[in-house]
Amino acid sequence: MADLRRTVLYDRHVALGAKMAEFAGWEMPLQYPAGIVKEHLATRKGAGLFDVSHMGRFTVGGREAPAFLQHVLTNNAEALDVGMAQYTFIPNASGGAVDDAYLYRFRAEEYLLVVNASNRRKDWDHLQEHLKRFSDVRLTDRTDEIVMLSLQGPRSRESLEAVLESGPMPEPMRNALSLVRMAGTEVSLARTGYTGEPLCFELFADTKAGPALWDLLLAKGATPAGLGARDTLRLEASLPLYGHELGTDAEDREIPIMACPLAKFAVSLSPRKGDFVGRAALERQVEAFGRILARDYSRLADLPRRIQPIALLDRGVARQGAKVFKDGREVGYITSGTMVPLWKVEGEGLASTFIEEHALRSIALALLDSRILEDDCLAVEIRGKAVEAVVVPYHMRSEAPPYARPIVAGYVLEKKAPPAPAPAASATEKVRRLLDEALANTTWRQRECINLIPSEMTASPMVRLLSVMDPAFRYAEHRESKAFYDADIFYYQGTEFIRKVERLLEEELKAFLGAREVETRLVSGQMANAAVFSAMVDYLNRADRRREPRRIRCVMNNHIGKGGHLSAQPMGALKDFVAHDPRTERPAVVNFPVLPENPYRMDVAAAMKLIDEHRPELLIFGKSMVLHKEPVAEIRRFLDEQKIGSVVMYDMAHVLGIVGPHFQQPFDEGADLVTGSTHKTFFGTQRGVAGSRLEKHEERYALWEALRRRTFPGSVSNHHLGTMVGLLAAAYEMNHFKDAYQQAVIANAKALARALKAEGLDVAGDPAIDYTETHQVIVRVGYGRGPEVAQRLEDNNIICNYQAAPDEESFTASGALRMGVAEMTRFGMAAKDFGELAALIRDVVVRGANVKEKTKALRSRFLDLQYCFKGKEYADLLQKLHGLL
Amino acid sequence: MNTPNDLRYTEEHEWVRLEGDVGTVGITDHAQEALGDIVFVELPEVGCEVNRGGEVCAIESSKAASDLYAPVGGMVVEANQAVAENPALVNEDPYGKGWIYKIRLANPKELDGLMDAKAYADKAAQEE
Repeated sequence: MADLRRTVLYDRHVALGAKMAEFAGWEMPLQYPAGIVKEHLATRKGAGLFDVSHMGRFTVGGREAPAFLQHVLTNNAEALDVGMAQYTFIPNASGGAVDDAYLYRFRAEEYLLVVNASNRRKDWDHLQEHLKRFSDVRLTDRTDEIVMLSLQGPRSRESLEAVLESGPMPEPMRNALSLVRMAGTEVSLARTGYTGEPLCFELFADTKAGPALWDLLLAKGATPAGLGARDTLRLEASLPLYGHELGTDAEDREIPIMACPLAKFAVSLSPRKGDFVGRAALERQVEAFGRILARDYSRLADLPRRIQPIALLDRGVARQGAKVFKDGREVGYITSGTMVPLWKVEGEGLASTFIEEHALRSIALALLDSRILEDDCLAVEIRGKAVEAVVVPYHMRSEAPPYARPIVAGYVLEKKAPPAPAPAASATEKVRRLLDEALANTTWRQRECINLIPSEMTASPMVRLLSVMDPAFRYAEHRESKAFYDADIFYYQGTEFIRKVERLLEEELKAFLGAREVETRLVSGQMANAAVFSAMVDYLNRADRRREPRRIRCVMNNHIGKGGHLSAQPMGALKDFVAHDPRTERPAVVNFPVLPENPYRMDVAAAMKLIDEHRPELLIFGKSMVLHKEPVAEIRRFLDEQKIGSVVMYDMAHVLGIVGPHFQQPFDEGADLVTGSTHKTFFGTQRGVAGSRLEKHEERYALWEALRRRTFPGSVSNHHLGTMVGLLAAAYEMNHFKDAYQQAVIANAKALARALKAEGLDVAGDPAIDYTETHQVIVRVGYGRGPEVAQRLEDNNIICNYQAAPDEESFTASGALRMGVAEMTRFGMAAKDFGELAALIRDVVVRGANVKEKTKALRSRFLDLQYCFKGKEYADLLQKLHGLL
Repeated sequence: MNTPNDLRYTEEHEWVRLEGDVGTVGITDHAQEALGDIVFVELPEVGCEVNRGGEVCAIESSKAASDLYAPVGGMVVEANQAVAENPALVNEDPYGKGWIYKIRLANPKELDGLMDAKAYADKAAQEE
């Protein structure tokens, strides 16, 4: 192996006892003494450390770098913001892959392109050829100057955090980057990798620093893993490998780029990419791909075969080149296949955990006739025998961090045992069981539990009763008609009472919110948001109703990971209403930045810069993980000074019940619109509301009128009249009791936070304000432990929800609990009682104690709902109403 | 590298242990080391007859598939289900629990054509 190149870590590999092998002209560790299976498993449960310094590393700089990258790569390089990376292909003119690659943008002025070791020379020559068309591009091969390590697996993040000397970790999402210092050197850190692990990092540093970094990460418990495990890991994640799934096929024909499933995310046909290399061919492939998904095979010639994952059902190992048959017809061949290990799992759903045993399964990727569908049964020819196999959608899923979860073909969730008695039960038995269980459930939640879900509230007995009276069964659709001086025209008879209720409710809520107008027919906060977004689109297109309506050009909101609510996200209610940014080809949503030292609070100065840069048409304040006031007044002042016409909306779903001098007065501070749900801090029932400060003479009033139309008939026909009657009573309660209630809620939240802190728990937020200005308290219980701790609290009758903190990837990796004090405040708990509760929470979370009886005892002191009308003066009427049920 | 003295060895890195007229067959420590993690063993069918040098069954490591050839001719009388269930046994105990099949020798003299421990150890050492 004399001519082979060695990475700076060669001596480390040899010292560890690695089996070295030739790969792409490099002498690389194939495996360490633990072996491929153990290295694979260690990566999936702990962290695997890979030396991938053999990969080719080119930097691209110069004024024309973006244009050059747009021309020679398939992905949209212009969409790549600083601090992000993207998967991409280097296409040839006929739509095949010269290589696949990863493009990193650690700094504004320079891109890093990582290519396969085996293609480095070829890629370089190819890029040089295209470079001739550009005058100001600096393309440099930095492979020898930069060491590249890959640290992958559920423990990778804590290992890195432990050795971080300065600089921030990348944002907790795939492809995020950051610049840090560790092992005394500058490290470019990327959340990328080739294993499918949701927690994955690649490190780039000066080559000289390689051994120190390697030693440091091994010392933090990473398992060294070689190219063998790298291959089985990438196969399990169904990631392509050039020479197998990309390049040319077994008969030396080019594999179209779109044959690779990942190409969907790595090929952009944005007009802004111009006539890039292979564009025409890729357009044909994309068209064929779309038709194939619709099972239209008229363009099959452009994409005759595609890579699909398959699982073997019989014993055998499908190796590269093995022929694949369907009903006796040859339909393709295996491009990669082997046995891969997987940890055995105990439990189901969120509670599933890897146990200390592993199994092996036989999986493959195959280049198959594009007409082959998921679940098709196939036969793989192995040593002359036909081995049964099935097309599967994937072998593994990465969306439930911190673990990559193996998905085994044919596995069926254990059906939960049907509740006794058996299905043969009589109607009477079934009905009695339902009644019995409803009784038990209500007794438990209303009399034995401490309810701390911040989005929940118990309504008063009067509100509850009113919600089930006659209007619960009626319709009262109505709309204002300009033909009758904006008179409200009702479509049905018998609606006089509910007409009055709705008008009274509007008046109560106007007074409460300080609004000029309110819309009360919305039956949820999410619907209120969707109606506002729909109204925005309607309003933006008011000048021309004939053309295709355009969407909202740019929206600013709170990122879901920083507490933003789903209903204000492109993945939630915003999806159909926000435009795609032509530059990024993603929803045109910009997130409010947060303070580095307090990720629960907006960085107002940075937000102003972004507003000035992006000029959003809609700003959405409000969060579901909320500890602070939103800076409405400051942003309003800025908008006015800069003459920026953004519509300012405040989604107050969580904080609706504390609107007022003790928290925020949104319209005084400058919001145009407020939405909310009426059952979180407000007193119920479960409905939504929207309000506005817009005046009739204002141009923007057209937006309010659009909102009325997008409520009815846009969102509701029946607007749930029963709960509307209940809500009117709740609004009376709120307007009457709010001063005392709101002060108590905020004081109790601060008291709970202080008490939890005093009990030794890790309370998030700013101690200077007692951690919270709302009804919420966030407690950190350790990365990924949230679901388990929340369940333990439930077992002890303390009901709260697990919550991903701002630096955590997803709800499955939640390391925090979210608690709200509103409901228990309403049952009369005061600061000292929350102190008592804090001790119980500590006992459960820290000591694992059983405090169920103590929780029940605490709750038994707070069974009588406060801040509601319950005197004798109502008794006769309530009794009569009961009598009518 | 472990090469027990009481076994006979083939060029293809298999071993045979003779008891009466039945030979137990497996792969050598050197072979399992070179192959790495054994992840799959395709056992021969009990009752099948093979000639010496004929393909009997296969084993696979994470990296590659290898055919196993009969070191002696005869009829397969037993196959080790334990290694089919847990192929890692071949790595962990190649001369013991990791045996693969047993064959009733058609011609016990064929055994004389195989290497003894020393000859095999020398050969294996050369390969390294």
